[in-house]
Amino acid sequence: MELLRERLIECGWKDEMKALCRSFIKKKGRNNVTVDDLVHVITPKGRASIPDSVKAELLQRIRTFLMSAAL
Amino acid sequence: MSTRKPSYTNPRPCKHLSAYKLKHGLSGYKSLQKCLKTTPNGRTSVENPGTKISRCSSCNGYQGRLYFCLICSSISCSGHTLLHTQSEIGHDLAVDIERAELYCCACSDQVYDPDFDKTVMSKHMLDLSYSTNRNSADSIGERLCERKRLGSGVELADLNKSGQLALMRDHRAKSCYPLGLRGLNNLGNTCFMNSVLQALLHAPPMRNYFLSDRHNRRTCRKRSANRLCLPCELDGIFSAVYSGGGDRTPYSPAQFLYSWWQHSENLASYEQQDAHEFFISVLDGIHERESKARNQTRDSGDCQCITHRVFSGQLRSDVTCMTCGFTSTTYDPCLDISLDLDTNHCSNKPVKRNDNSSTSTLLGCLDLFTKPEKLGTDQKLFCQNCQEPRDSSKQLSIRKLPLVLCLHIKRFEHSLVRKMMRKIDSYMHFPFSLDMTPYLSSSIVRNRFGNRIFAFEGDDSDNSTEFEIFAVITHSGTLDSGHYLTYLRIKEQWYKCDNAWISEVDERVVRASQCYMMFYVHKTLYYKAKEDLSCLPVSTRKEAFHRVAGCC
Repeated sequence: MELLRERLIECGWKDEMKALCRSFIKKKGRNNVTVDDLVHVITPKGRASIPDSVKAELLQRIRTFLMSAAL
Repeated sequence: MSTRKPSYTNPRPCKHLSAYKLKHGLSGYKSLQKCLKTTPNGRTSVENPGTKISRCSSCNGYQGRLYFCLICSSISCSGHTLLHTQSEIGHDLAVDIERAELYCCACSDQVYDPDFDKTVMSKHMLDLSYSTNRNSADSIGERLCERKRLGSGVELADLNKSGQLALMRDHRAKSCYPLGLRGLNNLGNTCFMNSVLQALLHAPPMRNYFLSDRHNRRTCRKRSANRLCLPCELDGIFSAVYSGGGDRTPYSPAQFLYSWWQHSENLASYEQQDAHEFFISVLDGIHERESKARNQTRDSGDCQCITHRVFSGQLRSDVTCMTCGFTSTTYDPCLDISLDLDTNHCSNKPVKRNDNSSTSTLLGCLDLFTKPEKLGTDQKLFCQNCQEPRDSSKQLSIRKLPLVLCLHIKRFEHSLVRKMMRKIDSYMHFPFSLDMTPYLSSSIVRNRFGNRIFAFEGDDSDNSTEFEIFAVITHSGTLDSGHYLTYLRIKEQWYKCDNAWISEVDERVVRASQCYMMFYVHKTLYYKAKEDLSCLPVSTRKEAFHRVAGCC
């Protein structure tokens, strides 16, 4: 988990999400937004914008782990 | 754009939170504390006993955010929190399992309670104390104390007044330059000196100090037995530049230059010097002189000389062990902050950037400066807790802001490949008004632990973190043959100071310039300064206002 967080910060994904959240809040007004709204709006954008290199690296690690656990 | 200034006033609790607190007080939090799990890097989560993964009691789902009810300990997913609070009256408060953050199911929103955050933070400290032998209170960095925070935002009664002043500005004033603007002759590649001098001459606290005759040439010379004194020479320049009915032709700071050569023998030559190096050297010279005069040998930490009173700030450096989370903190004084440019310095950037975030900005550089930096595996530092060298990360932040903040952009870079220095010409955007709150130690350290509300020691002392720019030193050209200029902002009008030539310029020119050093002053001092110097014509003679060519 920590590795994923680190990679996402490094490649700027976290900052981009922060900016998206800020613009959403600005549009709606600070007092009219709940965490749930944000989660529902940002989640699809977030999932779509993860860089392929990060996906590949994580998948590889999972694969390796599963193979080692299966032995 | 977005306000970067979070208000750390405790937000008003929703009625459900208030009701919960009234009924249960802190007992719920305390029992939750036993189930909290902390990690070295500041994250807290609710521990899941057993090996089964947490599932929603309504739908058996395990995806998304899960909330743990504080009353009955049942778990709901975000879709079913409302259902839970409707079926069980009074079960409004829950905790986000992954993040240990409070959630009100009835309001369907995150809520904040300082008591809850205090419970979470003390768990962190408890955990750390179990893994160290020494007193844990110091090792997290600062002792966390709860204080009542008053609303932030200093009311500046002056603001309205100064707004009117701008409107009432006499349009005849355009033909005269305000008091204190005077060209400085180039004495042979001394534009580096002239540019820094112009900035110092217009730093409000420096100006007030010297113009109030706090460093008197007569009394000083007696003490120093006829030896040249840098502050005396600077005082001389202040008098020459701010003289009311006096000469407005460009001034030659020859005495000052000679005096500075005496102080910095290694830099004494007719070659072009680096303006930043000169700046530090002058401040050092003034400090030396002042502390000698008062026979004090205090270190720069609590030195009361004018240099330190104006420019001295304090940086905090936290080095964290990546294995156990133990952080060691040191404080260092600083006279200015040197920033690396934030362009093209990050490796792998595969994220598509939809906006124009490829230009470098001052805020970006400050972010880079305060970003946690992982020290390489060849730089393992000895961790006192683990008792062996470990991978560490280092993070800088500003503990105390000076009155005048000097930001220096490192544009001269050592190229390891070609083994020489080169200049980085990239444009950097900088704001005229700067809020330093996100870069303070209080903000940086607070952010490490997630969304917490608590007062940080030293928080309420600095209500004024807003700065206004008043001088920009730009460098144009190459490393060897370049030219320094200063842009000064006086009462909302920008002036270009190019050695002996002073001219009015539009602010767009300044924004587009390639900045090298920027001087920001506390907002309160800036607005005050606007009122002090009234823009009255200092001379009615017409010929005083055309630019006089100086020797260059």
